[in-house]
Amino acid sequence: MTLAGLLRRPRPHQHQAPVVALEHVTVRYNGDAPALEDISFYVQRGERIAVVGPNGAGKSTLLKLVAGIQAPTTGKTEIYGFGAGGHICIGYVPQRSHVDWKFPVTVSDVVMMGRVAKIGLLRQAGRADWEHVRTSLEQVGMTPFRNRQIGELSGGQQQRVFIARALAQEAELLLMDEPLTGLDIPSQEAIFDILDLLKAREMTVLVSTHDLQLASDKFDRLMLLKRRLIGFGHPAEVLTPANLQRAYGTHLTVLPGPDGMLALSDTCCEGDDHG
Amino acid sequence: MKFHRSIPGLALAFVITVFLGACALPASQTSPQGAAQPRVLAAETFLADIAQNVAGDRLTVEVLIPRGVDPHSFEPTPADVRKVADATLLIVNGAGLEAFLQPLLENAGGARTIVEAAAGLSPREGHTGEHPEGEADHAHEEGDPHFWLDPNHVIKYVENIRDGLSTADPAGKDAYAANASAYIARLKELDAWIKEQVAGITEARRLLVTNHESFGYFADRYGFRVIGAVIPSVSTAASPSAQQLAQLADQIKATGAPAVFLELGANPQMAKQVAAETGMQVVTGLLTHSTTAEDGAASGYLGMMRYNVTTIVEALK
Amino acid sequence: MVEFLLSPLRYEFMVRGLIAAVTVGVVCSVLGAYVVLRGMTFFGDALAHAILPGVAIAYLLGGAQGPLFWGGLVAGIGTAVGIGALSKTGQVREDTAIGVIFAGMFALGVALISTVRNFSVDLTHFMFGNVLGVSRGDLALTVGFGALVLLLVVAFYKEFLVISFDPVLAEILRIPHQAFSYLLLVMLAVTVVIALQTVGVGLMVAMLVTPAATASLLTRRLPIMMAAAAVIGGASAVIGLYLSYYVSIASGAAIVLVCTGFFLLALVFAPGRGLLARGSTR
Repeated sequence: MTLAGLLRRPRPHQHQAPVVALEHVTVRYNGDAPALEDISFYVQRGERIAVVGPNGAGKSTLLKLVAGIQAPTTGKTEIYGFGAGGHICIGYVPQRSHVDWKFPVTVSDVVMMGRVAKIGLLRQAGRADWEHVRTSLEQVGMTPFRNRQIGELSGGQQQRVFIARALAQEAELLLMDEPLTGLDIPSQEAIFDILDLLKAREMTVLVSTHDLQLASDKFDRLMLLKRRLIGFGHPAEVLTPANLQRAYGTHLTVLPGPDGMLALSDTCCEGDDHG
Repeated sequence: MKFHRSIPGLALAFVITVFLGACALPASQTSPQGAAQPRVLAAETFLADIAQNVAGDRLTVEVLIPRGVDPHSFEPTPADVRKVADATLLIVNGAGLEAFLQPLLENAGGARTIVEAAAGLSPREGHTGEHPEGEADHAHEEGDPHFWLDPNHVIKYVENIRDGLSTADPAGKDAYAANASAYIARLKELDAWIKEQVAGITEARRLLVTNHESFGYFADRYGFRVIGAVIPSVSTAASPSAQQLAQLADQIKATGAPAVFLELGANPQMAKQVAAETGMQVVTGLLTHSTTAEDGAASGYLGMMRYNVTTIVEALK
Repeated sequence: MVEFLLSPLRYEFMVRGLIAAVTVGVVCSVLGAYVVLRGMTFFGDALAHAILPGVAIAYLLGGAQGPLFWGGLVAGIGTAVGIGALSKTGQVREDTAIGVIFAGMFALGVALISTVRNFSVDLTHFMFGNVLGVSRGDLALTVGFGALVLLLVVAFYKEFLVISFDPVLAEILRIPHQAFSYLLLVMLAVTVVIALQTVGVGLMVAMLVTPAATASLLTRRLPIMMAAAAVIGGASAVIGLYLSYYVSIASGAAIVLVCTGFFLLALVFAPGRGLLARGSTR
C-alpha cells in the first residue's frame, strides 16, 4: 500500500455501477503461466455468487483480486465504479488454514480489528465502535464466545468470527475463501443462515468452494473457473457436462441423480489454489 | 565469546581480515637463514621484545597476539594456528595467562619446543572471579600470571628464554648468554630507577586500584597496597557482582585511593562509575599486556615499564 | 526490612543501574511480545553482532570517548531496515535475511578496525555494556529512548496488532503495513542497541525473549501479555540486582537467572497450561 493510497480518501460509491466489474483481467506471477487469464464479469448488488473450480483454478487469486490485494497484470478491476485498491468496505474471510490461531487475541479483539480504519490513526476505539462490535457478534451468534481466544473455537465458530469482523467493518462486499471446507452440515447451515441475513441487507457475497452440490443449491449464480472463466450464470446453465469436462478434466465423477439433476463430486480437495 | 561458534562465512571473513591486519603490522622481517635456524614465536609483544633482546642478531622473534589485543580473551584464528604450526620454538608466559593455548597446540599439530617464561616462579594467589554466562569455560589456575610487571621476575624469564634458545640453537649458546647478561643488567637498572621514582610518592598514597588484578607483583615489590580491582579477577573476561563493586567503592573511600588505573583497551564504563562515586581520578592507557601505546610511544618491555611507572607516579604524587 | 531495601541504594551506581535495568527490562519485555509472536528471537543476537561496524567507525573517529553509542545505533537501525527490505523482496526469508546481514556487518566491522589501523583493539570490550557501569548520560539516553518506544507501542497498538495478525486485513483497510513493519523493526533495533550498550548482550537477549515467553504461558490476551511481560521484566531486574548485591553474583547473570526462574515457575504452575495443570487432567 503506497503513501498515495493512504492519502487518497475513499470516494463515495457510485451506486449505479456494478459492485464488482472485471474487464479482461489477467494475473501472471513472475513470468509463469497465468493464474487467471482474460477474466471479465460483473456482479450486481446483493448477489450471492459461488466461485468453483479445481485446485489451481485461481479461486483464491480471484478473491484477492476483488479484495484489492492482488494487482492484475493486465486488465481492469472496479469496485463500485472505481479501482479495487482504496476501498475499506470489503470484508475478506481468509481460509482457516491461513490464520494464526495461536495468536493471543479473543473473538472481540478480532472483530474490533475490523474497525481499525474507521477509528483512525492515533485514536482509540469509542463507544460507537464497541456498539458495532457488539451488534456484529450478535448477528453471527457469537456473543457468548466473545472473550474466548480464537484457537478455542470450532471451525464453524471461527468462520463466524471473521464474518462478524466484516460486519463490524461495515463491509458491503463480503469475500469468503473456502469457508465450508471441513465443516459439518450443521455448521454449514449456520453459515448459510447468516448469509441469508446478509442478503436481506443487500450485502454482496462471493464464496469460493469445492462443493459443487452446495454451490448449485445455495447460490444465485455460479462462476466456474479454471484459469479462464468457463461459465458464469445459473448453476444449471453453468454446470453442463461440457463445461465440467473443460474445468475438471479427468478429476470428476459424474453420477445420475434421482430427479434428473447431476450429482457431482470433486475428488481432489487437498491443498490451496495458487496464490 | 559467542561470535566464533557461528557460521563459516564469518570465519572466512575473519581470516581474510586478520591476514590483512597482519600485513599491516610493522616489521615482519623474514628469518635471516633457512633450515638451520629455529623459527621463534612469542605469544605476547612484551615477551617477543624480551626474547629478541636475548636472541640478539641471531634470530628474529615473531609475535602471535597483536598489540592492543587482550590475551585473556584472545581467540586464535586459522591464521594464528598456521603461525604456531610454522614455529619450532614457542615462547609463552605460562601460569595460566594463555588459556587458549592447549586447543591451539592441538590444532597446530606437529612438534615444537615450548618455553614457559614464568617457569620456576611461584605465583601469588589470585581470584578467578565470576564468569558471565555465555563465556567459554577457561581453565584458570588459581595463580596470578602477571609476573612480568615486576622486572625482578623478568630476570627469570630471561634465564628461561636463554636456556630455551640455547637448546634449540646450541651454536648460539655463548651469544645468548652474553645478551642475557647484558639485558639482566638493564633490568636491574630499571628496578633501581623504579624504586627511585616510587620514593617520590608518599606512603599513604601508594594505593593501586586497577581494572583487573594485574599489578599484584608490582605492588608487592615496590611497596604499593592494592585496594582492589573493578573486575576482581586475574582475567578480564569476568564480571563483578554489585556487592564486589560496592565493597570496592567503600574501600576506596576508606583509604582515599587517588586514582584507578585502566590498561589500554579496557572498557572504562564501570571504573568511571566507581570513580564518580568516590571522587577519584580515572587514568587510562596503562600497558600491561602489550608494549607500545597507540601513538608509538614507549616501545619494548623496558619502555613499557617506564611508561607505566611514570604514569602511576604522576597520578599518585 | 527497609534497611535491606535501601542499603544498596546508597551507591549511585546502584541507583542508576536499577533504573537502567528496569527500563531495559520493561521496554525489552514489551517489544519482546512482538519478537516472540513474529518468530524473531534470532534478531536480538544478530543485531548485537551487526552493530560492530558502527561502533568501529565511532571508535576510529574518537577513540574510547567517541560517539560509540550513536555509531552503534545508526548501524543497528541500518541493519533493521536492511533486513526488512531484503525479506520484503520475497526472495529471501526473514531469518535468512537476518543471518546474511549480521555476518556481513560483523565482518565489515572487523575489517574496518584491522585494515585502517595497524593497532588492533578488542572492540568487543566496547560494544557491550554492564549494568553496573551506567553513567548519567547513558541513563538519560536509555530512559529517553525507552519512553519513546513505549509511547509508540501505545500510540500504534491497534495498527501493530493488525499487521502482526492479519496483513491481508491491513491491506484491505489501507493501513500502510510496510511502513508500520519497518517502524516496528526500527523500534526493535533501537531497543536492542540501548539494551546492548547499557546492560550487555547476554542480558539483552534474555530480556527480549524470556519475560514475553513467560507471559504467553499465563494469558491469551495480547495487552495483558505485554503488561505481564513488563512486570516480570522489571521485577527480574530489581530482584537480580539485589541478588547481585547481597549474594555476590555477577549482576547481568543474576538478572537473567531470575527471568529464567520466572519462566520455569510459569511452565510448571500456569493455570490450565502449566505442566502441573496438564498432568492433573489426565
